[in-house]
Amino acid sequence: MKMGRSTAVAVLAAAALALAACGGGRSGSGDGSGDGSSGQARTLTLWHYEGADSAMGKAWAEAVKQFEASHPGVQVKFEEKGFEQIQKTAGMVLNSDEAPDLMEYNKGNATAGLLSKQGLLTDLSDEAAKRGWDKLLSPSLQTTARYDDRGIMGSGRWFGVPNYGEYVMVYYNKDLFEKQGVEVPTTFDELTAVLDAFAKAGTTPIAMAGAEYPAQQLFYLLALNQADRAWVNSFQLYQGKVDFHGPQLTYAARTFADWVGKGYIGKDSAGMKAEDMGVAFISGKFPMMVSGSWWYGRLQSEIKDFEWGSFLWPGNLAPGSSGNLWVVPEKAENKDLAYDFIDITMKKEIQNLLGNSGGIPVAADPSAITDEKSKELIENFNELSSRDGLAFYPDWPAPGYYDVLVAGLQELINGGKKPEAVLDEIAQPYEDNLADIGN
Amino acid sequence: MRTLRAPGGPPGRWAVLAALVVLAVVMLFPFVIVTLNAIKSPAEYSSGGPLSLPQGVYLDGIVEFWQRVDFGRKLWNSFLISGTVALAAVVLSVLNAYAIGIGRVRGRLWILVFFLVANTLPQEALVYPLYYLAKQAGLYDSTLAVIVIFTVIQAAFGTYLLSAVLGQFPREILEAAALDGAGRWRTLWRIVVPISRPTLSVLVIFFFIWTWNEFFLPLIFLISNDNQTVPVALGVLQGDKMMDATMSSASALLGIVPAVAFFLIFQRTLTRGITVGAVK
Repeated sequence: MKMGRSTAVAVLAAAALALAACGGGRSGSGDGSGDGSSGQARTLTLWHYEGADSAMGKAWAEAVKQFEASHPGVQVKFEEKGFEQIQKTAGMVLNSDEAPDLMEYNKGNATAGLLSKQGLLTDLSDEAAKRGWDKLLSPSLQTTARYDDRGIMGSGRWFGVPNYGEYVMVYYNKDLFEKQGVEVPTTFDELTAVLDAFAKAGTTPIAMAGAEYPAQQLFYLLALNQADRAWVNSFQLYQGKVDFHGPQLTYAARTFADWVGKGYIGKDSAGMKAEDMGVAFISGKFPMMVSGSWWYGRLQSEIKDFEWGSFLWPGNLAPGSSGNLWVVPEKAENKDLAYDFIDITMKKEIQNLLGNSGGIPVAADPSAITDEKSKELIENFNELSSRDGLAFYPDWPAPGYYDVLVAGLQELINGGKKPEAVLDEIAQPYEDNLADIGN
Repeated sequence: MRTLRAPGGPPGRWAVLAALVVLAVVMLFPFVIVTLNAIKSPAEYSSGGPLSLPQGVYLDGIVEFWQRVDFGRKLWNSFLISGTVALAAVVLSVLNAYAIGIGRVRGRLWILVFFLVANTLPQEALVYPLYYLAKQAGLYDSTLAVIVIFTVIQAAFGTYLLSAVLGQFPREILEAAALDGAGRWRTLWRIVVPISRPTLSVLVIFFFIWTWNEFFLPLIFLISNDNQTVPVALGVLQGDKMMDATMSSASALLGIVPAVAFFLIFQRTLTRGITVGAVK
């Protein structure tokens, strides 16, 4: 880099003339945060990456309105960001003077946990207690809000506040179910019988995408059928030892391979992306899709040709968690305003709006949800949440584990490796991470 | 070889034509798909998939995206950054290459090797050093930082290329200029630059388009939405687990059009420049 620096100086000199025009743009960007603490005309800088039409986008837009009404003289400067931009740049932005006052950020050890360990996030424990957020959120939702000194979720101080929830369920095509003459299964045996009926009739029952998250979530669901909360806490929160050749994961790997063999899962799905899976289900090609609540709004607006519904996967546990978090950067200039804003988004009114727009509120009034389908979605979530059934996601325990699981499950789908060999493959990175964090 | 080159040989001609048609179809196919999906409604996309023909022209996606990200502003940012970088990098490359290719400074081979190595460095490796430098210089979240960085990156390639070109520069012309009493500075601007103009124009166009398409460093350095460039703005549509295929296509179309338009406009000047050089 010696060259880069010395040349940079030369460029600075050479380009100075040409750049006179950009000077104006530069000074314009600096004044947003500069006058923050002067008392008059304050600005709350807010970043999030939810689309304007999504449930969160709608609810938070309303929250901005209410905030501005209750805080005369304060202007909210909202910037819509891309998910990738926040993922890639959060550490750098929060370490600079350009940090926003409040932003949405991903929950989990590798994201919010890491930033909290680096001291880039504000400790929200006092505010959570004072404003009652700790009472509004159920224990399994709080798991992702709190991080200990190692940046591991589940205990310690509050560094984020989740505003919505999410979980994995089964979406089904009512028309195809009727045609096949099968009912919504309530037990795992009934589910297998339904799958078998479709497969025997020559239809692949489950829409799948091996190249992205859906395969690992189905795999994890199968493991959860043999697991309890203690196992989940071992796997996700490192509170115990996880045996990759124990009954849970062995069962999951064998069953998954078995299902591929029996034609419950298409052999050609190894290279599919989640988007392909969703489009295939929306166009009515598959009777079932096992995936998360993030599809809900889209299915609701885009499925026109058939009736559809959703049901909980038969079993006590399912992948799911709080949604992404509100975090307040340590370098934020208007922390008090940020707390006020979070508080508004937790109010019944905003939460109800979130629920009626197709999202899953964490603190809504169930009777205020009027939309029939949304009610089904939220009631299922509340049932799962109340029996402490949110088991988080399989890729959380170790950095980069998502790609490990994708690779492993692709091997299972195209039959490249035996289930035991796949388990060995996914065990190694997990154990390496344990060693890294000193467990 | 001979049959292919023979001017009148029909079989050779047809084969070349067929190959070119296939190539053109392969090249245009992605553009067609993007355009098709850009004018489809989301419901049509979901029920028919990406390859189906749209039933009507649906422009809401394009309009909505334009307003959502304030696209006019992004276009201006991209244009300002790419244009400044293209010109500044070419000026810098000429100065460097004049010293290396014609001036034959000592250790020029090693200087060139150094530039080549710098060129192959992945941008990911540069991010953290550049981030700290920009922060120290107070240039974080400013277009100036991106302009400086890309001017250096593009000039590294430009220097490498131009040094080779100027190394072959006819000595007779330089000697004639020296006999006429032209100093180094005058020789550069009156002799070398006009004669190498075709090469320089090509470089300007390449630098412009390369800089226009840069995603990673602008993503890191342009934090405020007001400073962002077109490719970064396109990233707004990529969600955590969701993507909006039709709006992404709409945005991709909006993103490609300026670069293609720029190329088409300047390709003309480019050919004219070359012919003028040839007549001289």
